[in-house]
Amino acid sequence: MTTTTLYLERTSALHRLNPVTKLVALLSIILAVFAVPHWWIPLGIVAVVIVPAAVLGRVGGRLLRLFLILLLPLLVVLFLIQGLFYPDGSTVLWEWGLAQLTTEGLLFALTIGSRLTALVLGSLVFVLTTDPARLMSALTQVGMSPKIAYVISASLQIIPAFQARAQSILLAQQARGLAIVGSPLKRARALLPLLGPLILGMITDVDERSTAMEARAFGATPKPTSLIVVPDPVGERVARWLMFLSAIAVVVLVVVGVIA
Amino acid sequence: MTEHDRETERGGESEGDRESERESVTERESVKEATMANANANAPMIELSGVGFAYEDAERFTLANLDLRIDAGTVTGIVGASGAGKTTLAKTIAGFIPLNEGGTYRGTASVAGRVLAEGTLSEAAAAVGLVTQNPFNQISGARFTVREELAFGLENRSVPRDEMELRVDEVAARLRLEPLLDRSPYALSGGQMQLVAIASMVIMQPPVLVMDEPTSQLDPAGTRLVYDVLSTLSDGGTTVVIIEHKTELLHEHCDSIAVLAGGLIVQHGTPGAVLADDRLTSWGVGETRVTTAARLARERGLLPVERALPIGVDDAVDAFSAAKGAAS
Repeated sequence: MTTTTLYLERTSALHRLNPVTKLVALLSIILAVFAVPHWWIPLGIVAVVIVPAAVLGRVGGRLLRLFLILLLPLLVVLFLIQGLFYPDGSTVLWEWGLAQLTTEGLLFALTIGSRLTALVLGSLVFVLTTDPARLMSALTQVGMSPKIAYVISASLQIIPAFQARAQSILLAQQARGLAIVGSPLKRARALLPLLGPLILGMITDVDERSTAMEARAFGATPKPTSLIVVPDPVGERVARWLMFLSAIAVVVLVVVGVIA
Repeated sequence: MTEHDRETERGGESEGDRESERESVTERESVKEATMANANANAPMIELSGVGFAYEDAERFTLANLDLRIDAGTVTGIVGASGAGKTTLAKTIAGFIPLNEGGTYRGTASVAGRVLAEGTLSEAAAAVGLVTQNPFNQISGARFTVREELAFGLENRSVPRDEMELRVDEVAARLRLEPLLDRSPYALSGGQMQLVAIASMVIMQPPVLVMDEPTSQLDPAGTRLVYDVLSTLSDGGTTVVIIEHKTELLHEHCDSIAVLAGGLIVQHGTPGAVLADDRLTSWGVGETRVTTAARLARERGLLPVERALPIGVDDAVDAFSAAKGAAS
């Protein structure tokens, strides 16, 4: 399937869950890890919830690869900058010129880094195990406007649409002598003639696309049906409310000072 | 989540939802039923009287005082040179002009006695299905598989899920799209995408189907498949209007052909009469290859001048047999 999403088709309990349940779980985790000012809470959630979920969803390998490619470089830079140049650091562990490795700096980097890890890994598990078509259907089932669902789905598909069009324009221009090989600068220059037709073409297509959408009755009824019906058992609905209320409770406890 | 899992998912719909769906289906069917009911044997299904249209800021009228009558349940081909106004005519029959297009419009266009310009675009779309020229733009851009893409229009019409599945399977079988059902619409070739675009409109079962160059990217087998489906639809009562350059196909499958030139219908009649018209090439319409061959044969004295030029292969065999018989 040519889409911009990272979804991996697997057979697992996590894949079968209603996408809205997974979305609420993700949002609850994000709310909790950003509310609680302790680095070990996000790391605990990663260890106890997110990694086991990835294993359960049979996407652990891909998650690890994405962690190494996307997140690890970011965490290294974060620890280097905050650890060595934290402005309010007073407990110096090591210093070299302007760079001072401080306990405060390391703790700050750990707090931010652990939150970021929970946020990114949690989101990746969600995206890796959630079929975008099911997600859109499930969101529409719980009351999201079909027009908003269309916009989100169309945004997810816009990259393959752009790729397909760009490829045909590039082929046409190569057929007329445009050279796209050589140095990076030369290749970048060769892309300039692509941009005009690509963008203008997409804009002029809007009119015909809108005609086609009208012909296919888009917006004809406020409550369209769906080919994909996502089961939403009572247990999952209850779980969603529990997760949401727990996250709110954590925020309240932090605000009133019970969790400090 | 496999496609099989998706298909076997049940239980999300309550009885109330199903009841609501049934009511919606009744509503969306009303325009279609009214269109079919209004179509009687004597009145034309499509009638354009004195229709003119000029796009905003255009110096001339693309359609100029045009008259056209098309009977119910027939297949009508529209031919004309590039820029003759064929796409504009297709949009006018479908009601998109003037409902969705700015410009100067005059005259009356009606389908089954209903003047589409007096209703809403949604009502017009329920009465007339329009397949646009570029299949890339007919794709919704918001569905992840061909199966979901085919169901898109049915979802918008609140068709119940069971019926949707049946119709998707049926149209996929008719246009041989089964192997593509689980692929992304953007992973298709131009021809495959065109078949999906056609299927996405056929599946909505409109009383009138207008198709703007629907086979431009198809191979001969795909083209034949589309025409076979159109013939079946026509046999079932659907009125089909097809804009096409391939005159051989029009001769074979159409009940009538209309020639559009200078914004007017300059000739409208049976395929035999229209395609044998000596003025055809002057209107920018290519004659069939059989006619071209027969014309050359006539110039060389192989066919008598008084005999009408053949259009199709069968006519040509008859003409040459007669000429041979006369010569011997």
